[in-house]
Amino acid sequence: MTYSTSDLERLLNERGEARAGGGPTAHLDIIIRRGRRIRRTRRAMVAGGALAVAVVAAGLVNALPAGAPRLDRSAVAQSPADSAQIKPAAKLPGSFHVVMGNKNFSLPLLHSERFTTTGAVRTVTFTPASYYTGYMVVCDDPRAWVVIQGKLKGGEAGGTSGRCAPLGGGHHDKSSAPADWLKRPQSVKVWVFPADAPVREVAQAVAGCPLTRKSKECDDEAAAHALMRPEVRERLSSEVGERPGGWTVGVYDRPSPASSAGS
Amino acid sequence: MDDGFAEYVAQRHLRLCRMAYLLARDWGTAEDLVQSALAKAWVAWRRIEGNPDPYVYRIIVNTHASWWRRRWRGEVPAESLPDRADPRDRAGEVDEQDALWSAIGTLSSRQRAVIVLHYFEGRTLTQVADIVGCSLGAVKSQLSRALTRLRVDPDIQTMQVERAQR
Repeated sequence: MTYSTSDLERLLNERGEARAGGGPTAHLDIIIRRGRRIRRTRRAMVAGGALAVAVVAAGLVNALPAGAPRLDRSAVAQSPADSAQIKPAAKLPGSFHVVMGNKNFSLPLLHSERFTTTGAVRTVTFTPASYYTGYMVVCDDPRAWVVIQGKLKGGEAGGTSGRCAPLGGGHHDKSSAPADWLKRPQSVKVWVFPADAPVREVAQAVAGCPLTRKSKECDDEAAAHALMRPEVRERLSSEVGERPGGWTVGVYDRPSPASSAGS
Repeated sequence: MDDGFAEYVAQRHLRLCRMAYLLARDWGTAEDLVQSALAKAWVAWRRIEGNPDPYVYRIIVNTHASWWRRRWRGEVPAESLPDRADPRDRAGEVDEQDALWSAIGTLSSRQRAVIVLHYFEGRTLTQVADIVGCSLGAVKSQLSRALTRLRVDPDIQTMQVERAQR
C-alpha cells in the first residue's frame, strides 16, 4: 500500500480534529503561574551564573591565553529553562602530554573555546604553530559523548570518539598532519552529546553497531566507534536536539624548546 | 504583563493543542506540552517580535523531543504495513488510515515534527528548518526518510486514484 501526500494531510487533519468537540480549555491563570515559576528559576540561575563568573575571574578555572571564550548565548536563550543545570565548568589542563616512542613532551595550550550546549557540531578554527598539535575536550559531565574530527595527511577525516572522560583527545605529528598544516588556519569539528543520548540504540538502528576487536556486544566502545560515522551522528543529533551542557575544547601546540621532541 | 498574550492564547490554544497531539499522540500530554510552551512564551513575550507562532512551535517541538527522549526505548521500524483484502471496502479504508497513523508513531520525534509542521501546519520547509533548528538540507533529508517510512509517495495525487486503478 502506497499513500499520497493528500492521504497524509487528510489523516493529520482528521486525527488533529478528533477531540474538537470536547476541546481542551486554555487555563490562562495556570499558564501565567507556570511562567512566573520559570522566571523565578531563571533568575535564580542567573544569580548562580554570576557566581560562577566570579569564580572564573578569581582564576580558579582555566586561564585561556588565546582570546576570550565564545559563549553560545543564543542557543542557551532558546533552551528550556527547566533542563538547565548549574555545574562548575570543567577544567582544561594547561598542557597536553605526548609520548611518542622515546619522545616525551608537553604541548602548551594554544587556543580554547567554551560551549554551553550539546547535540550540535561545533567547528573550532585556529592557526597551528607546529606540526605537533593536540586537541582535548573536557565536559562538565564526564559521561557525555564526544567526537573530535579533523583532517589527516591525505585529506581524509580522522579523529577520536568516546565518553568525554577518559577520552582525552588526540594529536598530530609530522606524519599525520596535512601538507598545508602550517600554511593556513585549520579547524577541527567537535560533537558533544549528552551522557544519556541514545548512542547505542542509534548506532544499532543506523549502522548495526559493528563490533570492535575489544567489544563483544554493542557496548560503549562499539557505540563510540559507530559515532565516527556521519549518518550515526546526524541521526543522533536529530534525536537529541540541542540541549544545555557545558564543555571546553582546547588546542595545544608547539612543544617548548626544552622538551625532547624533534622538530 | 499581557500585551496580547491572553488574546493569543485564546485564539491559538486549540490549534496548538491539535498540533501537539499529532506529535505526542495523547491529548493529556499535548495539553501539558502546550501549557508548558505557552508558559515559556509568556516569560519571553515582550522580546518576541512579529508572529509568535514559530517561537511557540519551537518550544513545543523541543519540549516534546526532550520528553520523548526520556521514554526512548529503541526504534520500532514499520517493516510492513498490513495488506488490505479489498481496497474499496470502508473497513479497509479505516484500516489503511490506522496503519498510516501507526506508522507515523514509529517516526523519530524530529521526523514527526517535520511531517506535522509541513503537512498539518502548512509551513514551508524553510520555516520548518527555522522552527526545528536545523538546516534546510537536514529538514529535506528528514522529510524524505519519513515519507519513505510512511510509504507516502509525493508523486501520487490521491489514494482514490490508486484505488480506481486497481
